Amino acid sequence: MSVSEVGGGPPDPVTVLLVEDDEVIRRAVGMALERYGYRVSTAGDGLTGLELFRDQPHDLLLLDVMLPGLDGIGLCRRIRESSLAPILMMSARGDALDVVSGLEAGADDYVVKPVDTSVLVARIRSLLRRASFAPSPEHAPEPAAGGAGDLVFGDLTIDPQGLEVRRAGEPVGMAPTELRLLLEFAANPGIVLDRQTLLRNVWDYGWDGDSRVVDLCVQRLRKKIGPDRIETVRGFGYKLRR
Amino acid sequence: MGHAIVQAARRLLNWRSLRWKIAALVAMASCAVALAVGILVHRSTLERSMSLGEGRAYVAMGEAENDYRRTGDASAGYSGEIPPALLQQVRSTGRFSTWYDGRQPESLWMWGAEPIDGQVLAVQIDMGTEMRSLRALDRHIVMASLAVLAVVVPLAALAAELPNRRLRRVARTARRIADGDLNARTRVGGRGGDEITEISAAVDSMADSLQDRLLSEQRFTADVAHELRTPLMGLVTSAELLPEGEATELVRDRVRVLRALIEDLLEISRLDAGAERADRASVPLDQVVEESVRRTGLQVRLAVNGDPVADTDPRRLDRIVANLVANAHRHGRSPVEVTVNGTTIVVRDHGPGFPDELLATGPQRFRTGAAERGRGHGLGLTIAAGQAQVIGAELTFGNAPDGGAIATLHLRDGVGSES
Repeated sequence: MSVSEVGGGPPDPVTVLLVEDDEVIRRAVGMALERYGYRVSTAGDGLTGLELFRDQPHDLLLLDVMLPGLDGIGLCRRIRESSLAPILMMSARGDALDVVSGLEAGADDYVVKPVDTSVLVARIRSLLRRASFAPSPEHAPEPAAGGAGDLVFGDLTIDPQGLEVRRAGEPVGMAPTELRLLLEFAANPGIVLDRQTLLRNVWDYGWDGDSRVVDLCVQRLRKKIGPDRIETVRGFGYKLRR
Repeated sequence: MGHAIVQAARRLLNWRSLRWKIAALVAMASCAVALAVGILVHRSTLERSMSLGEGRAYVAMGEAENDYRRTGDASAGYSGEIPPALLQQVRSTGRFSTWYDGRQPESLWMWGAEPIDGQVLAVQIDMGTEMRSLRALDRHIVMASLAVLAVVVPLAALAAELPNRRLRRVARTARRIADGDLNARTRVGGRGGDEITEISAAVDSMADSLQDRLLSEQRFTADVAHELRTPLMGLVTSAELLPEGEATELVRDRVRVLRALIEDLLEISRLDAGAERADRASVPLDQVVEESVRRTGLQVRLAVNGDPVADTDPRRLDRIVANLVANAHRHGRSPVEVTVNGTTIVVRDHGPGFPDELLATGPQRFRTGAAERGRGHGLGLTIAAGQAQVIGAELTFGNAPDGGAIATLHLRDGVGSES
């Protein structure tokens, strides 16, 4: 959390792809984000958004859930097939279906409309921090026996410096939030971490965070590193099995 | 495990249970049948014994009459005193009569008497054996009935367990539906087609229609949310882009009000639709309340006693505290005090207090009560009360004797205080 963003973008501004079908929101949010120094490209529907992203990968995606044609959830899933860029979903309905399916599709976080630009920027910054996450010494304590600073948990090898995860020797692609969450677990092996702690440390939320974000990210993590590595401790939280 | 056994035992011992009612009914029916059969058998056996006794008295009388004719001795039959009742009967009919003498239980007699030549000749036959065997028969009938009851009543109670179990299941399901689990179904149906199947089907179809209504209401709420929030989002963001100025402040202020109102209404309709579920966690109350108060940006005196921990939904608790604090500021007067004491959170202001109407009926939408309580749409307390219900907390409103409104939130004691 000590990393603070440089407000104005130059020399290399962060690029944001905003996919939103409502024209007013698209233009207003685009302008607002540009004031914060982001370079924003916009698309009015899912397929255009997908094309734009394939032409030129962006640093972050801001997707509306309800889009004509390919909806935000489908778009999120398609993007996750090839990219690990951070994705923030915007839902106007804010109901469980929107939120859960967006997070299941691979989104890192969600906001419910209407959202203040300051809040939106705070979420974007938190996501970008995760994407450029460099572990501080406290996050990578004594290196395990594996060798050059690698952390080893069964068939799982985590290199906290190179930010690489291998399962049985095979590299595993991790979205920034997933990787950040896994490192949080790896820094506390065998210790139960409750959802609130994870929300605070990984997502920068206070008590107002939605714990479903944690649950669904853990689900996605389990799909990548094996179902048994992270244990659910009912009523408390999760822990990484040594 | 132990709990389950205690519960089962309590169920078994509940004398109001249908089981025991059915058993009692069966017992009563069995007793009635046994009594009817017993009386019938007793009476027919008694009649048979009496006619046998009479027959024997008639034969004995014949012999006594022969003796009398041969010897002329009037005491050919019974020589003692003839019972006056028999004597009278013989005199009045003038023919052979019998009379059963049951005056002394240890000597039971059948008397026969006949008037001959102006005299009365009498005989007596011992009936003790017959009567004793009749009593033995009665005893046997009673014993047999008791034995049958001892088998039938437990069997009936056992057989009643089957419908009982189905009924308990129906009750359990209805309770779960009442508690909000609309996916609960009895699934008792199938065989029988009896009244229990009928009530199960009725409960299931009630749950179906409830669920349908709720789902369509929830869908509607979500659609309304989408339709309202989409233009609102454009408005909020555009208003932020306006150049600073007096007019911009006016627009932004109204946008804020409109946004708060829409969010409150959507929250209330979600609460009304009953779709809200608490997401519980064990949370330190002091931190949650402190953060919640800080986010309101309002002046509050916060006091915390001990290190209270509660099993609750921190996001909903935040909504409750934020609404109570905002309400205290809008309708009351500073200082606003928030006190966390164990799992009880008290929000108090120093204004005119809650109006009587609110104290009597609880918060009502779009009603702020007395004019001196200022402006507002009166949704905040409705939301606080609704969210309190979702997290299973109790929210009460009162007024301090020295003025000021007091809202007290009792969280469910799950974990309790660690201090």
